[in-house]
Amino acid sequence: MVDTVSEAGLAQSTLQRAPGNSSGSARTRWYEPLRNHTALILLVVLLIAGSLTSDVFLTPRNLLNILWAISILGIVALGQTVLLLTCRFDMSVAAVVGFAGIVTVLAQINGFGIYSSIAVGLLAGAGIGLLNGLLVLLTGANPFLITLGTNLLVYSLSLSLTQSKTLYATIPAFNVLGRGQLFGFLHVSVVAFFLLALVLEFLLRRTIFGRTVFVIGFNEVAGRFSGLRIGATKLAAFVMCSSLAALAGIIMTSRTNSTVANAGFGMEFDSIIAAVLGGTSLFGGRGGALRTIVGVVVLGVMNNLLVLLNVPTEAQQIAKGSVFLLVVWADSMLRRN
Amino acid sequence: MRRFIGIFEKHSAALIVFGLVVAFGSTSTGTFATGSNIENIARQISLDAPMVFGQAVVLIAGGIDISVGSTMAMAAAIAIGLQPYGTLTAVAAALLFGLAVGVVNGLLVTRGRIVAFVATLGTMSVVRGLLLTYTGQRSLSGQDPAFAWWGGGQIGPVPVSLLVVLALLGVLWVFLGHTREGRALYAIGGSKDAAFLGGVSVDRGLMVAFSISGALAAVSGVLVASRLNSASVQLGADAPLMSISAALIGGASLLGGKGGIIGAFFGVLALGILNNGMNLLGVPTYSQIAIRAMILIAIVAIDALGTALRRRDLAQGRITQ
Repeated sequence: MVDTVSEAGLAQSTLQRAPGNSSGSARTRWYEPLRNHTALILLVVLLIAGSLTSDVFLTPRNLLNILWAISILGIVALGQTVLLLTCRFDMSVAAVVGFAGIVTVLAQINGFGIYSSIAVGLLAGAGIGLLNGLLVLLTGANPFLITLGTNLLVYSLSLSLTQSKTLYATIPAFNVLGRGQLFGFLHVSVVAFFLLALVLEFLLRRTIFGRTVFVIGFNEVAGRFSGLRIGATKLAAFVMCSSLAALAGIIMTSRTNSTVANAGFGMEFDSIIAAVLGGTSLFGGRGGALRTIVGVVVLGVMNNLLVLLNVPTEAQQIAKGSVFLLVVWADSMLRRN
Repeated sequence: MRRFIGIFEKHSAALIVFGLVVAFGSTSTGTFATGSNIENIARQISLDAPMVFGQAVVLIAGGIDISVGSTMAMAAAIAIGLQPYGTLTAVAAALLFGLAVGVVNGLLVTRGRIVAFVATLGTMSVVRGLLLTYTGQRSLSGQDPAFAWWGGGQIGPVPVSLLVVLALLGVLWVFLGHTREGRALYAIGGSKDAAFLGGVSVDRGLMVAFSISGALAAVSGVLVASRLNSASVQLGADAPLMSISAALIGGASLLGGKGGIIGAFFGVLALGILNNGMNLLGVPTYSQIAIRAMILIAIVAIDALGTALRRRDLAQGRITQ
């Protein structure tokens, strides 16, 4: 294995940093307590802005709808978070979301039961993750470009499997996953999102796997010298990310009982935005699953507000991109202080 | 053997072009090596080439530009959409827009200290949003027949767009190889720290590189708009992949400091011939996408393995060139 940290192109020049900027450590700045909670502040601001500008915004129904709308992206973003913590990306989640749904539906069409078809879909996702991980680890190549390539590869596979048509699920009970509600108001997919976030947070904070993920993000070389299983953990992170994307794709499919090849369009970008918005650093080693919940919710609330304010859908893309740049800029500024 | 690998690495694009020509020439029973098909290829690659040149310049300086696709599409939309104000104004506005995106990218990378591909991923998203908003997801069509000459016309047997590309090729060749600014880009791509200690302004070099990339993406956009005499939001969707693939085939490296403009030209040529050949042989669209994806993966992997090999040589005290 020839994988190296700087391969990701993230190594920044140390010589060019402005000198004399390290005096901040002596006294705490006023923003210090808020530093890692940009998303929470944004959320509060958005909630206040929303309640002032729209009557329907702060109704339980609307808020629950927001949660339902974001839960799928949320599950993708959880997987992306794990990978981001190791200082890596997965741009193939968009294609995996579509691919997993297609494989599941095809399995149902070919006579698989509900559980076995879901299992096949998940396995397909895990397989793509394994491919990504092996390609990146064995060649030491830039994960961003490799996964951009597998994204296109998986997409073309989905296209040829569906012949560019919409496929329909054949098992009626499959619908429960996407449309079912607990106690009559809480969607199954929302519960799944929160439960997964909790499990993942536990994995990241309380297990050797999780701690190793953080160590890879902080200082991979140190981790290697400490005898941690760096390679296996990285591979696991890739598989985890793709599997979660596959789960999201299966839930998405069950909402409408149908699927198309480009079902996950734009999710690679949105999931990174959500994770970074929540406070997971693009440079690895900082962040967590619960933070990603906040990031995803902020994104959902922002979209919802823009819709309620009758902003054209096209312009929402501009808002999303700008927020992303702002957050990334803040992230790299804070990292330098 | 090592020597052989070195030669292959340096001239891989030209060799690949040669191999593809032989392969398609022998399999496609007389449709490949015809005058009209060669003209077809020339036209097709001359639309992509400026963008790939820009990508190569950024890669040489150690950066990467993901935003070229949406910049190209937006430039095309501006070049068509602003034609009521005069074609010249429209084209100037399109080119200025590209330059502006490049400057923003440069500022994000130098002042904002954001990693290049993250910063350009952000601008890609914003520019795509601008494009969606500006066009309202409809396709625009041109009103000025004279405008179509740039992308569709020809002087003698040579397409005008190819002449534009060759002119750009000459200018960039001189710039990269024979000016202070151009050589500085190689130094920056090789090692920012070393360049900085050697008295090169790293920030300035990166600003120049990203500005060139933005402007050249806009040139591609204007040429495409002129060729189609229309613009749509679908333009440039696979441009980041295509341009990076072409530049890497042409000898550039993701780690920077390597490559050149002539290599980049051969890189575009290789991809152009490949696409053309696959179409002539009737390869299904899905398989074509898959093949393009695998090519990118293979190139990126080879690039990384080559770098690892050189690192090991350096560590063992062997100097390779």
